[in-house]
Amino acid sequence: MTARRIAILSDAVANRIAAGEVVERPASVVKELLENAVDAGASAVAVEIEAGGKTLVRVADDGEGMGREDALLALDRHATSKIRSADDLVGVATFGFRGEALPSIAAVSRFELETASAGEAVGTRIAAAGGAVTALEDRVRQPGTTVTVRALFFNTPARRKFLRSTRSEVRACTEVVTTLALARPDLGLTLLADGHAVVEALPAGSLADRAAQLFGQQLAATLLPVDHASGSVTVRGLVQRPAEAAASGRMAYLFVNGRPFRDPFLVRAAERGYRATVPPGVRPSLVLRLEVPAGDVDVNVHPAKLEVRFRDRYAVEAAVEAAVHEALGPLAASAPYSAGSAMPWEHRAVAPPASAGLARDLFGAAGGDDAAPSEGEAPAPEGAAAEPPIHASELRVLAQLHQTYLLVEAPDGLLIVDQHSAHERILYERAMRTLTEGAAGGQKLLFPLTITLAPAELEAVEANGDLLGQLGYEAEPFGGSALIVHATPAPHARFDAERCLREVVADLAGGRFGGLHNRVERFASTFACRAAIKAGQPLTTAEMNELVQRLMAAELPAHDVHGRPTIVQLPLLELHRRFGRR
Amino acid sequence: MKFTITREKLQEGLLRVGPSIPAKTTLPVLSNILIEAKKDGLHLSGTDLDIAVATTVAAEVDEEGAITLPAKKLTEIARELPASPVRVTSAGEQRAQVECGKSKFRLLGLPRDEFPSFPHVKFDTPWRIAAKDLHKLISHVAFATSTEESRPILNGVLWDLRKDRMRMVATNGHRLAKMDVPLAEEGGAAQAELIVPPKALEQIRRLFAPDDLVEIAKSENHLGFRSEGTQVFTRLIEGPYPNYEQVIPRENDKFATVDKIAMASALRRMSIVASDQTHRIRLSFGGGTLKFSVQTPDLGEAQDEMAVTYEGDALEIGFNAAYLLEILKYMPTDEVRFTFKAPERATTAEPVGWDDAASYMCLVMPLRLVD
Ligand SMILES: Nc1ncnc2c1ncn2[C@@H]1O[C@H](COP(=O)(O)OP(=O)(O)O)[C@@H](O)[C@H]1O
Repeated sequence: MTARRIAILSDAVANRIAAGEVVERPASVVKELLENAVDAGASAVAVEIEAGGKTLVRVADDGEGMGREDALLALDRHATSKIRSADDLVGVATFGFRGEALPSIAAVSRFELETASAGEAVGTRIAAAGGAVTALEDRVRQPGTTVTVRALFFNTPARRKFLRSTRSEVRACTEVVTTLALARPDLGLTLLADGHAVVEALPAGSLADRAAQLFGQQLAATLLPVDHASGSVTVRGLVQRPAEAAASGRMAYLFVNGRPFRDPFLVRAAERGYRATVPPGVRPSLVLRLEVPAGDVDVNVHPAKLEVRFRDRYAVEAAVEAAVHEALGPLAASAPYSAGSAMPWEHRAVAPPASAGLARDLFGAAGGDDAAPSEGEAPAPEGAAAEPPIHASELRVLAQLHQTYLLVEAPDGLLIVDQHSAHERILYERAMRTLTEGAAGGQKLLFPLTITLAPAELEAVEANGDLLGQLGYEAEPFGGSALIVHATPAPHARFDAERCLREVVADLAGGRFGGLHNRVERFASTFACRAAIKAGQPLTTAEMNELVQRLMAAELPAHDVHGRPTIVQLPLLELHRRFGRR
Repeated sequence: MKFTITREKLQEGLLRVGPSIPAKTTLPVLSNILIEAKKDGLHLSGTDLDIAVATTVAAEVDEEGAITLPAKKLTEIARELPASPVRVTSAGEQRAQVECGKSKFRLLGLPRDEFPSFPHVKFDTPWRIAAKDLHKLISHVAFATSTEESRPILNGVLWDLRKDRMRMVATNGHRLAKMDVPLAEEGGAAQAELIVPPKALEQIRRLFAPDDLVEIAKSENHLGFRSEGTQVFTRLIEGPYPNYEQVIPRENDKFATVDKIAMASALRRMSIVASDQTHRIRLSFGGGTLKFSVQTPDLGEAQDEMAVTYEGDALEIGFNAAYLLEILKYMPTDEVRFTFKAPERATTAEPVGWDDAASYMCLVMPLRLVD
C-alpha cells in the first residue's frame, strides 16, 4: 500500500491561505481538476464536459495517482500533499496548495474519484454526494486519476440559478483549457464538449507550435518570438506583429513561473513596448511567460489564484515592456510578402548599429557632405542563436519603385521599403528623443515665414507651444490670425518648413492622431508624418541608401507610427518556391 | 540634306550639345539632337525644355536640310569613327546615313518638325560680359541655392545687372552667398533683375571659355547667351526675389579673422560627433581663441581650439557645421573674416585680402543653442 502523503493543514496554516469560494461555475471545476492533474505529473489529460459542464465534468489524467488513504483524505478540507507549513507557501511550485478544491467540489455535486498509483495492483473508487461519501471500493485501472463531477450545484439551487447558457459555459471551459495548454506546451490536452473535440493538443515542441494548434496556423504566423532577460526577470513568449494586430479579438495570456494570472497593468506595459507602432484602439495578441525567483512573486493573494503580487512590480513591468520592444526590433518582425511564407531570417535580428550615429547623411540637414555611412561592429542580440545578425551594410538598395517604394536586396531575400513610412519612423524616434531628452534649437531663418491660421489652429499652436519650441520652432503671434516663424527644425534637405508647420497645426487642431497614448507621442507622430518625405518623391541613390541605413538604425525599423509595416519582405525561399526551384 | 564634316568637328559639336539632352524623358524627340545643315555650317541643338543649347560647327554642306537623330547613339558612333571625313546624307524625313572610311551606318531619327522650337530671344541690345566674370560669379554663388522644391524662387540664382556692376545672390533661407563684379565695358542694355536656374549657369560655365565675350539678351521669360557659334537659352524663374538686402546685417560688432584651412579641418573633426540631423556645433570666441565643441546625446562629445584674431565681447554661437564648411570651401582667400552680433543673429563671412575687383560675402543664420 502506498505511503500516505496528504496531511491536514494546521488551522494556523489554513488561515494564512487566501481562501474563498473556488467553485463558481463549471469552468472553475475544470480549472481545479486540471491543475491537480498537472500537479500530479500527468503527461496527458483528457477533459470532457456535457451541457457546458453543468451536467458533467470529467478530468482523466495519467499522473501519479493516489493511494486509498490519500484518496479519502483528499476530500477533507485543507488536506494537501503540496505544502506542510506556511513557509512552504513562499515559492510554491504546484498549482494547488490549499487542499480546498476537491472537498469544495465534492460538496456541491455528485462526485466520483477513481485513482490508482503506479505501484498498486488495485486502485480506489470513491463516490460522494453533496460531500458525503456514498461508496468506497476497489477499482482496477491504469495509474492515474479520473474525477467525474455530475449535477453541479444540485444541492445549492441558488447557485445553480446563476449558471449561464451552455455556450457561455463551454467558452469559459475552453478558455481554462487553452490557458493551461499555453502554460504547458509539453502536455497532451483534449477537451470534449458534448462529444465534440474543442481542443486537441498533442504534446508540442514549442510555444509557437502550441499556439498554432490552439489558434490556427494563420494567426500563429503573425506572432513574433519574445526572449528577454532583465536582471532576475526573464520574459519569453509570443507577441503579435503590429501590422496584424486588430482592434478586436485580442488574446492576452500571462504566466508567471508557469502559473496563469491576470494583470491588466502588465498587459498595458506590453502595449507600451509597441511604442507607437500600433494605432490607438488596436490590441495586439500576446502570450508572455515570465520567470522570476520564487521569492519575488506571491501567488497566494487571490481566491481563484487569478492574480499574483510581485515584490518589484516596476522591474517586472519594465522587463515586459523591454521584452516586447526588443521582439519587434528584428527585421524578422517585418511583414511577410504573403501569409505563411517561409521566413528564412526568422532568427536573424538587425544588428543594433553601434556607430551608425556617426554616419553623415543627406537626410540629416541641408548641405551635408558626402562621407559614406560607417558601420560599427555590434554584438549579436540575445536569442539570435548561431545566425549572424543582418548588418545594414549587407543590404543593397536596388531601385525606387513608382517613387514610393525602395527595393532592397538582403542576404536572404528582398525587402520592399515604404519610403514615407520608413522616414516617418526615423523622424518619430528622433522627435521623441528630442522631446524627452530636452530640446533642439532650431535653424534661424533669413526670411521669417508668415503663416495665417484659423482660430482653432492658433489655439492648437498655443496648446502645443512648448513642444513646438522644443523641436526648434520659434514663432510669435502677428496681428490677429497670423504667426511669424523665425526658426524651424531642419531634419533633412527636402524639408518644407512652412508646409510641415501648416499641416502639423491643422492636424493638431483637427484632433488627428487623437488616440495616441500621450500628448508627446501624439505630437511627435504628427510632426514625423508631416516632416517625412512623401510618396511620389524621386530620391537619389545616395538618399535611398541613407534612408535604409537610418531605418536599420531605428529602434523599431519594421513598423511605422500608424501600425502599418514599413518593410515587406519577400524571402528568397519564397521566390524559389514560386519559380518551382524548390 | 547632305554634308561632309571632319570627325573632330562633329565630336566637338556633339560634346557641346550633349549635356543639354535629358537622360530620361517622356518625350522621345528630346533624346534626339537636332541637326540642321545650312550654308554657314552645321547647327546642332538639344534641349530638356528648360534649357536649350545650340552650336554651329564648320562643315561642307552640299544640300541644306534637317533631321533629328538619337544623341546617345550618334555620340557613341562619332567617338569610335576612324580619322576620316564623315559624310552624312538624309533619306527622307527620319532616316540618315553616316559614312566614314569603310564604316557605314543607317540611323532612324524623327522629323525635325517634332523638335520643340527654341525660345525667341532677340540679341539687338545685348549685355556684353566677359565669360571669366560670369564664371567667377557662378562658381562662388550658385552652390547656395535651395534644393527643396517648395519655393521655386530660392531654387534660382538672382542675377542683378546694373550699368556699372553685376551681382549674383543665392540662398536657401538658412545661408546666402552674394558677389559683385564691376563691369568694365558698359553692357549697353538696361538694368535688370533675373532669376536663373543654376542648371543653366552650369552650362554657361561649361560652354564658354574664360576669354570669350558673352552676349546676353532677354525676352519675356527667357534668357539667351551667345558667344562664337554657341548659344544657350534658359527659362527664367518668375520673381520677385526675397528682399535679401534687408537681412544683411549692418550692425555686427564682433569680428574674427580665421585661417580657413585650420578652421575647416577643426570643423570636419567636430562634425564626426555632431548630430546627423542638425550638424550642430558650438563656437566660442573670446580673447585670441576660437573654441569648438559639440555634444550629441547617445554619441558623445568633442572639443577643439584654434588661435584667431578676435575683437569684441566674448560670444557663444551655434551653427550647422555643414554650412560653415561649405562657405569656407568657396572662400577665395586663406584668411576669412567673420562678423557677429548675437547668438541668434546673422553672421557674415568675407575673404581677407582678396586681390580681385569683385567683392564677395556669405551669410549664415545660426542654429539655436539650448541649455
Ligand atoms: N489528479 C490527482 N492526482 C493525484 N493526486 C491528486 C489529484 N487530485 C488531487 N490530488 C491530491 O489531493 C490533494 C488535495 O487536492 P485539492 O483538494 O485539490 O487541494 P490542493 O490541490 O490545493 O492540494 C492534493 O494535494 C493531491 O495530493
